Amino acid sequence: MLEKPNKFRVALISGAAIGAVSGIPGLNLLNCCCCAGVWLGGVLAMYLYRQEFTEGMPPLESSDALLLGLMSGVVGAFVATFLSVAILVVFGPIEAEFLRSLFEKGLDRLAEEGTLPSDMVDQFRDQLESAVQDSARVSSILGNLFIELIVYPIFAILGALLGYAFFRPKTPPQATPVQ
Amino acid sequence: MITPKRIYLAFLALVTLWCAGILLAPLLKSAGLSLSSFLYSFYSSVCHQVDGRSIHVAGHKLGVCARCASLYLGFLVALLIYPFLRSLRAQQVPGRHWFLVGVAPMIIDVLLNFTGLHASTIATRTASGFIFGSFLPFYLLPPLLEAVAQVIGRLSSRGDLTYARKAEQV
Repeated sequence: MLEKPNKFRVALISGAAIGAVSGIPGLNLLNCCCCAGVWLGGVLAMYLYRQEFTEGMPPLESSDALLLGLMSGVVGAFVATFLSVAILVVFGPIEAEFLRSLFEKGLDRLAEEGTLPSDMVDQFRDQLESAVQDSARVSSILGNLFIELIVYPIFAILGALLGYAFFRPKTPPQATPVQ
Repeated sequence: MITPKRIYLAFLALVTLWCAGILLAPLLKSAGLSLSSFLYSFYSSVCHQVDGRSIHVAGHKLGVCARCASLYLGFLVALLIYPFLRSLRAQQVPGRHWFLVGVAPMIIDVLLNFTGLHASTIATRTASGFIFGSFLPFYLLPPLLEAVAQVIGRLSSRGDLTYARKAEQV
């Protein structure tokens, strides 16, 4: 009997997709909705893995989805961090600057309307400035990587399990007996 | 001994912890504790956390926006009632069309807002997020229980083999 297809290649492709969606400014807004980009990466991993199966191979199992999601999430976290750093080095903190300009417009409007007192507006401006500077710090990048290494595998596993629920074989394999 | 019930309870505990963190972020902030910064930072990787789109507790926004918070809450509620509706040993998931039914309100809400036909409100975001979240466990729990049982079963059988080999060598 043939062995199951290698998961590593599929995990690299789907992890790269997760990393691209999460690391490229603008595209990463997709993750603002409950990590939708990472979920979709997990579904993609399961779809691609299912395509690799040929006749004579053992059937696709839910544990494959679990492992594939885990691997894709970890690869995705590293790729996202790498892309973020590369973009930071080449273009500077463009994403942080964009967010700052967006928030500053809002602050200006609130200040004009008199909704916020001027001392609070100044305080918010200082916080925004420090947030932009923090985004380029090594500790901030490593902190983000740490959080992504927890969050991305969780959501990629859920995405892969959802993909398994959608793309599972018509006749599911015999479940592992549990006592 | 691993049973579907134990795996379910462990997963339920993790989801409860995740939801508790969302609620704890504003409560800890109002109490002046620095742990809230970590929680906000942690959840920032999964949500935009825009103030105007968030539910506020104790004067501060939740760890995630209204849509995400209600989605997670819907997920938790559905997870809690799941054993009363379906057996934990059942491996079948509902048809794909039911998934579309669950996600449709959220997509409609987003599209109506995007096209300017109807501005989404906290109420529509909360309702659509809750509906979608409450559909998800019915697709995720059966493969998850099965997968964890398979992985643990394999690891324990490998452990048994390793033990048997060592015993042979001795």
